[in-house]
Amino acid sequence: MNDALRILGSFIPPDLSPAYLRALAVPVAETIGMAAAGMLVAFAVGVPLAVIIGTRAPGHRLVGTVLASLRAIPDLTLAILAVVLVGLGPGAGVAALALFYTAMIGRVYGSLFLAADAAPLEALRATGASRIPLAAFGLIPLTLADMLSFGTFAFECAMRASVIVGAVGGGGLGTELIGSLNALDYHRALTVVIVLVALVAGVDAFGMLVRRDARLALLLVPLGVIALRLDWPQIFAFRHAVHTFAGMFPPELRAAQIVSLPLLIAQTVLIAVGGTLIGAVLAAPISLIAARRLAPVPVVLVVRRVLDVARAIPEVVFGLILVVSAGIGPLSGAIALGLHSAGVLGKLYAETFENVPDAPIASLAATGARPLAIAAFGFIPLALGPNVVHTLFRLEWNVRAATVVGLIGAGGIGQALYEAQQLFFYKEMLAYILVTWGLVALSDWFGERLRVRMGWHFVAG
Amino acid sequence: MLELTGVRVVYGEGAPPALDEVTLRVHAGECVAIVGPSGGGKTTLLRSINGSVPIAAGTIRVDGVDISTLRGRALRRMRTHLAVIAQQHDLVDRLFVYQNVMAGALGRWSTLRALRFLIAPTAAEIAEAREALEGVGIAEKLREPTRDLSGGQQQRVAIARALVQKPGAILADEPIASVDPELGEQIVALLCGLARSRNIALICSLHQPEIARRYFDRVVALEGGRIA
Ligand SMILES: Nc1ncnc2c1ncn2[C@@H]1O[C@H](COP(=O)(O)OP(=O)(O)OP(=O)(O)O)[C@@H](O)[C@H]1O
Ligand SMILES: [Mg+2]
Repeated sequence: MNDALRILGSFIPPDLSPAYLRALAVPVAETIGMAAAGMLVAFAVGVPLAVIIGTRAPGHRLVGTVLASLRAIPDLTLAILAVVLVGLGPGAGVAALALFYTAMIGRVYGSLFLAADAAPLEALRATGASRIPLAAFGLIPLTLADMLSFGTFAFECAMRASVIVGAVGGGGLGTELIGSLNALDYHRALTVVIVLVALVAGVDAFGMLVRRDARLALLLVPLGVIALRLDWPQIFAFRHAVHTFAGMFPPELRAAQIVSLPLLIAQTVLIAVGGTLIGAVLAAPISLIAARRLAPVPVVLVVRRVLDVARAIPEVVFGLILVVSAGIGPLSGAIALGLHSAGVLGKLYAETFENVPDAPIASLAATGARPLAIAAFGFIPLALGPNVVHTLFRLEWNVRAATVVGLIGAGGIGQALYEAQQLFFYKEMLAYILVTWGLVALSDWFGERLRVRMGWHFVAG
Repeated sequence: MLELTGVRVVYGEGAPPALDEVTLRVHAGECVAIVGPSGGGKTTLLRSINGSVPIAAGTIRVDGVDISTLRGRALRRMRTHLAVIAQQHDLVDRLFVYQNVMAGALGRWSTLRALRFLIAPTAAEIAEAREALEGVGIAEKLREPTRDLSGGQQQRVAIARALVQKPGAILADEPIASVDPELGEQIVALLCGLARSRNIALICSLHQPEIARRYFDRVVALEGGRIA
């Protein structure tokens, strides 16, 4: 324990020398470029696919199924696949992000379109409008607010993900972070983490501006186009990719590996469940002092910033820091997931508390109840449903994340996958990818069914 | 213009018909009011005319064409001749008024033209929107965000959109149910006046028999799916 604290202490202070900050310019540009290019492709392809889903055009079922199964491959797993297929560097990162976020945008916008106000749409259909004008004059303006909120959220995720795809050789800040950790240069590693937090905060601020004036989103276009042009040759190293891909077939595992498969799956699930529990237990009390209705404003502002930082640091980055300080293993993995989840859940719980309807709270207060009693009899029961949904969503996400932290030695399927890749056992790698895919798809399906059963489908939006 | 013969609509296996033996003829420039109790079949009748509700028996002809033979593109083209006005909330409130008005032209515009219009409308397109809005008396709202308009003004925008469609018929389903009575009467007067002056067949469902008798050429009562 003391040892761990000593190593953690050795991260401080960050290396803020001008020379290092200047050296970071290229990886920062690469990371931003990767996120911008990936999201540009994701919007350009995802929105039309969402229109197909949202207007129930022919083939919409197929599109929905393909997108759902793509989304079940964790982004870092896609990144490994991309690195294997197109080689090291930001091109691989762009390819992985584009694929993952196209699936995300397509699915989510598709369901937004399906839920759009029916009356104006019927009026437009009645004029004889075909699908694309229907989308331009109806679906998109009707859902623009939600599209922008989710779009900026997805961009924020992509920015974080562009760091973690760097960690497996996708270039940018992730590669820089791994490099400095391997060189035991912890001061520089902390600098990278700080830069990452600043980048995510920057995206967040940009998102606020876009929500005020949607046209600002167009800034993404030149940025993404430049990055795409620079990474293009790599993304389309087509023959190499096809050749390597062919070498992955048929996927196969040795007998001993098949025997150990249940253990690996159990480890991954444990990391996910443990991480979610840690996150929820940390988030519950924190969220009470992060909600404007329950705590004084200065406290709320400070706590919210702390939560923002926890959210901005991806699980893998927490994992990398824990691995050098506390050592490797499933517990580190769960703690890494827990710290990030605490940031996410703390914010969501707090927002739920703020959105609790006024009337029941006011009538409780009118009885002369004290604040704690109001919380116990009013806020907590009223917020319970939505918060359970948020937590279940987080659990679903954490099944993905658990395979991802496996890559840095936390165990489970992810670790087996990464080891197979490092040893160039591509057939085994593909087998593990398929197992991961099955596991995530199963957990998504299960979560979906649970929410429908409980009638909580729309609560978490 | 519109010719319904022996029309029957059944929503579900074993359910009583929502429309039964409905025969109705409306010629261009004629204003017909549909009245009757809630559940009488008014909405069903209007929706079946533009092909939104399939019919189980009978025929519906629009300009002599049997609409049950139309599919896909042909059905869409037929719909461009029939403008629909609903009770309320059928505008896209994030768009500007002129954009909602010109949405009436979507059926005859190419996809590219529709998208170009959103980004860069031409002076002629704006002028067409203005003219339609003058017809309903709110030309000054041309460039306002639709959500800033009152309920009655929004209903006028919906009528302007219908005019831009250059329809042969207007199907209006309780267009005044959500505005106050006085305003409602003004809107009915406006609709009937426009239909007569532009030679458009108007079928309009209403809950107020007095207004129906005062402004329309003919009043048809629907009860239990049958013309009473
Ligand atoms: N989509 C539907 N599915 C099943 N039954 C329907 C549907 N729409 C209408 N009905 C039934 O058909 C009958 C006629 O309904 P319709 O909506 O046409 O009446 P209406 O005259 O427009 O009534 P209101 O004045 O309340 O608008 C009713 O019995 C109704 O329950
Ligand atoms: Mg009705």
